[in-house]
Amino acid sequence: MFTGDTYNELFTMHGTTMIFLAVVPVWAGLANFLVPLMIGARDMAFPRLNALSYWLFLAGGIVLYSSWFAKGGAPKAGWTSYVPLSIQIPGTGQDLWILSLHILTISSLAGAINFMVTIHNMRAQGMNWMRLPLFVWSIEVYALLLLLTLPALSAGLTLMLLDRQAGTHFFEPDHGGNAILYQHVFWFFGHPEVYVMILPAFGIISEVIPVFARKPIFGYKAIAYSTAAIGFMSMLVWAHHMFTVGLPTGLQALFMITSMAIAVPTGVKIFNWVATTWRGNIHFDTAMLYALGFIAVFTIGGLSGIFLAVFPFDWQAQDSYFVVAHLHYVLFGGSVFALIAGLFYWWPKIFGRMLDERLGKISFVLVFVGFNVTFQPQHLLGLLGMVRRVYDYPDESLWNTYNLISSIGSYIMAAGLLVILANMLVYGRRGVRAKNDPWVADTLEWYATSPPPPHNFDDVPYVTSARPLRDLRRQLQEARV
Amino acid sequence: MPPAVPRRFIMTAAVAAGLVVLVGVGFLAWIGTGRGLVPVEPASPNADDIQLLYVFVGAFASAIFLIVTIPLAAFTIRFRRGRRSRDEEGPQITGNTNLELAWTAGPILILVAIATFTFIKLSGIANAPAATDALDVRVTGRQFYWQYEYPNGVITIDRLRAPQGRVVDLTIVAPVWDVNHSWWVPELAGKRDAIPGVTNHTWFRATRTGVFDGRCAELCGVEHAFMTTSVEVMPSAEFDQWLSSETRAQQQGSSNLGGEVFQGVCAKCHGPQGQGAYARAIANNPIFADADATRTLLDNGVQNGTRVMPPVGRGWSEQQTQAVLDYLQKNLAPQTGGTTAGG
Repeated sequence: MFTGDTYNELFTMHGTTMIFLAVVPVWAGLANFLVPLMIGARDMAFPRLNALSYWLFLAGGIVLYSSWFAKGGAPKAGWTSYVPLSIQIPGTGQDLWILSLHILTISSLAGAINFMVTIHNMRAQGMNWMRLPLFVWSIEVYALLLLLTLPALSAGLTLMLLDRQAGTHFFEPDHGGNAILYQHVFWFFGHPEVYVMILPAFGIISEVIPVFARKPIFGYKAIAYSTAAIGFMSMLVWAHHMFTVGLPTGLQALFMITSMAIAVPTGVKIFNWVATTWRGNIHFDTAMLYALGFIAVFTIGGLSGIFLAVFPFDWQAQDSYFVVAHLHYVLFGGSVFALIAGLFYWWPKIFGRMLDERLGKISFVLVFVGFNVTFQPQHLLGLLGMVRRVYDYPDESLWNTYNLISSIGSYIMAAGLLVILANMLVYGRRGVRAKNDPWVADTLEWYATSPPPPHNFDDVPYVTSARPLRDLRRQLQEARV
Repeated sequence: MPPAVPRRFIMTAAVAAGLVVLVGVGFLAWIGTGRGLVPVEPASPNADDIQLLYVFVGAFASAIFLIVTIPLAAFTIRFRRGRRSRDEEGPQITGNTNLELAWTAGPILILVAIATFTFIKLSGIANAPAATDALDVRVTGRQFYWQYEYPNGVITIDRLRAPQGRVVDLTIVAPVWDVNHSWWVPELAGKRDAIPGVTNHTWFRATRTGVFDGRCAELCGVEHAFMTTSVEVMPSAEFDQWLSSETRAQQQGSSNLGGEVFQGVCAKCHGPQGQGAYARAIANNPIFADADATRTLLDNGVQNGTRVMPPVGRGWSEQQTQAVLDYLQKNLAPQTGGTTAGG
């Protein structure tokens, strides 16, 4: 279907796009809108820095996509761009990839600083850290992780660029460089990046489930602290991406233990979400369906992570389709499911219109089924020995069967995503007008009008709990009685 | 006063735990049939132990999955909205310290169990058993082929022949000018990277004869997909016989090494008859009549704009180079050039 070159370009661009141009910035965009509203602020702390962050993001995207027209074509060393391959590849595509990531890094850093300053300084009166919405908690840790780990990526990419263009040999073993060093530097950034992509998803789930279960979140403190714990621990697990490079056994054992340990705070979150549904009044609006679906599929993604942390098993599974399945369960079943839940939940606030619920539910069935049909067989392909990043494989009957099932699933999933797109295009602008608080929610963004005015609020109530809007409703009720 | 741990919650959890045990046992039984989630049947003790780890973790993972999803499904069905209005709230339960402690401690215990079992199995997987008759093979990963070298200098490309029942120690390397690769034959052992400047080791002791397919697991460039390999496990005596006859043939220059190199090294880009594929056609190229020019080509590779031919022959022994030169001259050089025509 493709030549090896084209295939390598496609998966490199797919990975880079999804991580650097889709998931990370989509959280930045959503948080930009929501964080000030949720903490009762009029805007982000530095609006111009915010604009800079956006324009740099756009520039980074244009630079990356211009590489399709570059000499030698688009980058083709994978989104991880391991050396020495990424140094040896001729043409300018790889250099544009480095430049693009540098630009996007500055964009993300500007955004991260802005989020932290906003959250630390601009909370409504009375909103202490234990009254902060859990989505805002997750953005705080998201920003902190970007701030702490992006510089490592910048350093690694700069050395790669120097090796490519300036004749240095940091990573080139034939001149005394070290090829494994790049992997350490890359994954010191790369693994926290995974949590940069999933923590805001956790935050959304923690907002959506209580509202549609008509209960407070179970274990607010446990969820908030586990967010911080995951953020801290995510910086101590990077070498679990490198179990096959031949690290000393003791080091591999250490990274196995830290990688497993991160499952504990993650499990705490999952159990608290499940407990939140207990004895609730559960509304199956689309946002809630995606949130519940998230718990099921993300649990699978988390559990396959435990397999991979067991390093002797990883010697088998590393770089196989088992890993491809795992990462898509985490990033699609995790991040994207939560993103869709968040879109349906906050769409009325952002655009002042209600999305269509029937289309929403149809999309959920298609996406949930399609997703599992696509990625579940890939676990089995990995166990059968199929490696990732191959454009062709020998004709083996089981591989063909599983790949065919996977392809069929991807079409079902794509149909579901198209239904969402149609929903946004049609009802997103012409749907029923949204009231200020259509879901009878708990947090301050629903106190503003839908959509909010440019300055968000005329006044903000004094915050006395993590659920200021519910407090306000009760006060009004009592005043009426 | 915070609400006590709800009894029904405990009941549901107990039922879930019971189901978990049932399904866990079922899972193990399914694996035991050999037709379950582990279709690659191990053929070496280390691969076998890794599979055991997989089953061990799998049992716990299945249990945890059910502990999460059964209550989730049960609660969402039992406490669905029904005819209630959106205003109606559930009981305002904000948490329970004992439950938090339980679902923190429970996973820790499970992880300790998994880690302990891993450490118990580790040395049996990582370290080759001491054996006086171990066979040492040097495995070199290169764009885009695997070269195997036996202790007596015999060379094979892409196919490793190995004796059944004997420990085979693999030293895995890549030339300093090459890129990362990863050697993986799932039936025999976990993968191990071939990284320029690094020397890695792995091993296997094949428990049955047959041909086991493997492939390069680390993206290494345009023909990564075709950097396949296979291990042919033979009865020990048959292997000894093959090795001695191959040794003789390679020393006398009568082996098929040249053809093997052509198929493994050249054909992946230039086509099985040199008719051209990803890279240009090389059949009937006059350069093959000139041994020195061909040598230089193999040693330096080519950079033609943004297309690169790696220096595929750099570092080959004289014996190997000569075998390839002979093969190329005989089979790919133009036939009208006065050289003796080959097949």
